[in-house]
Amino acid sequence: MLPTRKRKAFLIQTVLGLLLLIGGALLIRAILQSLEGQGISSGFGFLHRSTGWDVGFSLIEYTINDPYWKVILVGVLNTLFLGSIGLVLATVLGVLIGVLRTSANPVMAFLGTCYIEAIRNVPLILQAFFWYAVFTHLPPPKVAAEAGGIIILSSRGIFVPGLNVVPGAGLLAGGLLLAGLVLALILALWPGRNLRARELLPLMSRGALLGGIGLAVAVLLLARTPGETFLQFAELKGLNFRGGIRVSPEFAALLTAMSLYGGAFLGEIIRAGFMSVSRGQIEAAQALGLGGWQVFSRVRLPLALRAVLPTLTNQYVWLLKATTLGIAVGFSDFFLVISTAINQSGQTLELILILMGGFLIINNLLAAIMNFINRRIALRGSQLRI
Amino acid sequence: MADIPLVSPQPGIDRLARLRRSLFPTPLSGLVSLAGIALALWIGWALLQWVVVQAVFTGSAEDCRAASGACWAVVTARWRLMFFGLYPYEEHWRSALACFVLVATIVLSCLPVFWTALRIAVLWVASAALFLLLMRGGLFGLSLVGEEKWGGLTLSIFIFAGTALFGMPLAIALALLRRSTLPLVSKLAGGFIDTVRSLPLVTILFTVAVLLPILAPGLSGTKLMRVIFGMAIFFAAYQAEILRSGIQSLPVGQEEAAKALGLGYWQRMRKVILPQAFRRALPPTVSQFAISFKEVSLVIIIGIFDFLASGNAAYGSGEWAFAYVEVYVFMAFVNFIFVFSLSRYGAYLERRMRVGK
Amino acid sequence: MTAAVTIDRLNKYYGTYHALQDVSLTVAEGEKVVICGPSGSGKSTLIRCINRLEEHQSGTIDVLGTVLDDNTAHIDHVRREVGMVFQNFNLFPHMTILENCALAPMLVRKVSRREAEATAMQYLERVRIPEQALKYPGELSGGQQQRVAIARSLCMKPRIMLFDEPTSALDPEMISEVLDVMVGLAQDGMTMICVTHEMGFARQVADKVVFMDHGRILETGTPAQFFGNPQHERTRNFLSQILAH
Repeated sequence: MLPTRKRKAFLIQTVLGLLLLIGGALLIRAILQSLEGQGISSGFGFLHRSTGWDVGFSLIEYTINDPYWKVILVGVLNTLFLGSIGLVLATVLGVLIGVLRTSANPVMAFLGTCYIEAIRNVPLILQAFFWYAVFTHLPPPKVAAEAGGIIILSSRGIFVPGLNVVPGAGLLAGGLLLAGLVLALILALWPGRNLRARELLPLMSRGALLGGIGLAVAVLLLARTPGETFLQFAELKGLNFRGGIRVSPEFAALLTAMSLYGGAFLGEIIRAGFMSVSRGQIEAAQALGLGGWQVFSRVRLPLALRAVLPTLTNQYVWLLKATTLGIAVGFSDFFLVISTAINQSGQTLELILILMGGFLIINNLLAAIMNFINRRIALRGSQLRI
Repeated sequence: MADIPLVSPQPGIDRLARLRRSLFPTPLSGLVSLAGIALALWIGWALLQWVVVQAVFTGSAEDCRAASGACWAVVTARWRLMFFGLYPYEEHWRSALACFVLVATIVLSCLPVFWTALRIAVLWVASAALFLLLMRGGLFGLSLVGEEKWGGLTLSIFIFAGTALFGMPLAIALALLRRSTLPLVSKLAGGFIDTVRSLPLVTILFTVAVLLPILAPGLSGTKLMRVIFGMAIFFAAYQAEILRSGIQSLPVGQEEAAKALGLGYWQRMRKVILPQAFRRALPPTVSQFAISFKEVSLVIIIGIFDFLASGNAAYGSGEWAFAYVEVYVFMAFVNFIFVFSLSRYGAYLERRMRVGK
Repeated sequence: MTAAVTIDRLNKYYGTYHALQDVSLTVAEGEKVVICGPSGSGKSTLIRCINRLEEHQSGTIDVLGTVLDDNTAHIDHVRREVGMVFQNFNLFPHMTILENCALAPMLVRKVSRREAEATAMQYLERVRIPEQALKYPGELSGGQQQRVAIARSLCMKPRIMLFDEPTSALDPEMISEVLDVMVGLAQDGMTMICVTHEMGFARQVADKVVFMDHGRILETGTPAQFFGNPQHERTRNFLSQILAH
């Protein structure tokens, strides 16, 4: 005989579990019935049907004859593409703002504060709308704003120089670069069990990074179109620009908004990181004769980033989720693709599951990577107080 | 032996000199300061010119095109649309009054006088009822105005208030459930919280607003209600974690002492644990409210005619199309006032609590 | 003997707090000076002025012929020649022991990595922990960390070493391992200025003991004079307190 309290707990949980199971089953049955009533057959078979509609932006080859799974892949890639560029830009901006905010110079600190307060107190979606309006109201191609012919701002989009290479080479090179970077990161953080490993791992890490860069450059050079210049600038041909890479107003607006907004938040976090670096570490570096920039790049920045890595992780996950604003301006991110697919196919339940599952996987993966980095770094310990 | 004076004025250091030293400690940093001051002045001057000096405050779109400054005339012409949406023109006073009721409630909630469970609950339920009476009407000679006509800033603030009203109790429930000693209960609550937190708000709004009626036509209220429900769930998932860490930061002795006094679970929670946890969690709670206020703008995505949507409409129609910057700056400014005051208030609370300890 | 450090009528303020009052001190090359005094007497501030971790308001500090002023080139030059060991070690936690030691020679003296690491290993052997070279500071004991900190300073081949209470943060059983290294360094002829309460160390290696109180130097003498026949009441009080246990 179990003691009464334990028996009570067991009973409560059993009843609760049963109720939840029954409730869930009823809900799913109701949903299935309602969908059946609308003439939609459930199951994931639709993923192999062709979609019949196009997307605004895709990193891989995609036509309206391609199946649903491919359009979802397009969306995921777009989200990751926008997200990763946004994260990098926001981080760079965040470090800059963090430095400004902790500057001993009151003017610099004031400018940093103004930026942060102006940006982070205004909803991100409003800023995305604003930038979208700005980028769609740019002057027409004939009178486009140019920066030395390299960057062109026009109502047809923003044009930056591209490379004259075989299609697909850019993607391959990007992939190689990313693979090298990831491998280098893993090797750099891998726990070295013995002295030999601790000597070799950093070298291998550096090798992986250089290898990735080297392979990417090699691919681009090999794939260059013969008889044309390597760099390709956009030129005005008739009413529109030819050549170069066109950045759509949707992408540009989201990227600008995300980077500026993320930069303000990361700036505050990184400022806290700078504040947490003990004076002693900086003094030790100064006493060794390191110059201002050396103290910053070798001691202050790395220690600050280490200190705030967990907070940074949360902010990164948040920023990645913010890519769902694509739907506000019409950028084909994961969410927009899914919601279009729901409208077009009616496979609501399946697509919602894919959407939620996708975000759970992406976010947890990002968090897991950041936590892995954090654990590896934390293991190396803050200074042991004896 | 005579004591040596430890405090004596440092020669030649007054306030001006200290300022000079902080701005120009070395020639290079002095140069940076000068550049920074110049930049700040230039931005300030350009802004002043654009916002005030060269700006057009009233008049037609043609007047604006002629001027080089901001065209605030668009706000003068369209402010009613932005604030009240499609609410009937003659009844705008009701929408304004209802909006004021909510803002007043939010401000009152910041006063410590209302920081007991009963008072804050009465305040919010009463003001929600008053809001509904004013907005919806149909009683006391007020004409009935359907939900589909509500819009603008009033609607945005109503969604925010609704989120807070339903989200907070939900958050408390989730936090307590997650701390339950029954493993199934705490696992389920934890799983729910973590799942909601890892999803973007947009997907949740989309699910409740667009998909719920398709999936289960039987159990869905009006669209506005569903939106508030979705926002409240999202808010609650975040707020529950804030409360939980507030509870966890309490010394173990508090709960043990209450147990030793023979208080039951609900008595312990109501009288001992939750009041203290709330005090500790107050600053992050306020900043969660600030975040939540900004997130209300997302409802535009599922077709709610909120402040942002009515702002888009304000410049979207032909004649004012060029004045999009002014409309967005104005909306940004209104949002800024709310969010900035909330975050300043949170920072004030945090400072006060640190001093109080 | 030429002077390594000449301090003349130094005054230092923190706001209105007068931390150093007309302090004058000369340290010859190869000389070992121990500075002691009660806490808050300004002894740490004094040696931190010598490599300009603290700015002084009046008076002059001449280090190896360079006068410290606002000129950053002068400060850089002095810091290159003056090593410093801190109470809390201040090793860089994100770098291995070897990287800690090789960093400054590579960045400041522009030595190649190979050469810097070779030098670092040489000094790590000297402080008797070469086997820890690839560990991180967090994996070491306090005594080991402090010895690494000494090795790290030595890697810059400084002509003067400053020690700011190097054993105060250590457990008693670890103090001797650090003091042994410092004694060895003294025997090799390094110019040393040490703020410490280790009177045994002062007796053994100091050429000169300086007693500070309330921002002033009250008494200077050889260890024999200082311990045998202290001149000031305060010095006697201080000594009786510190030697009591």
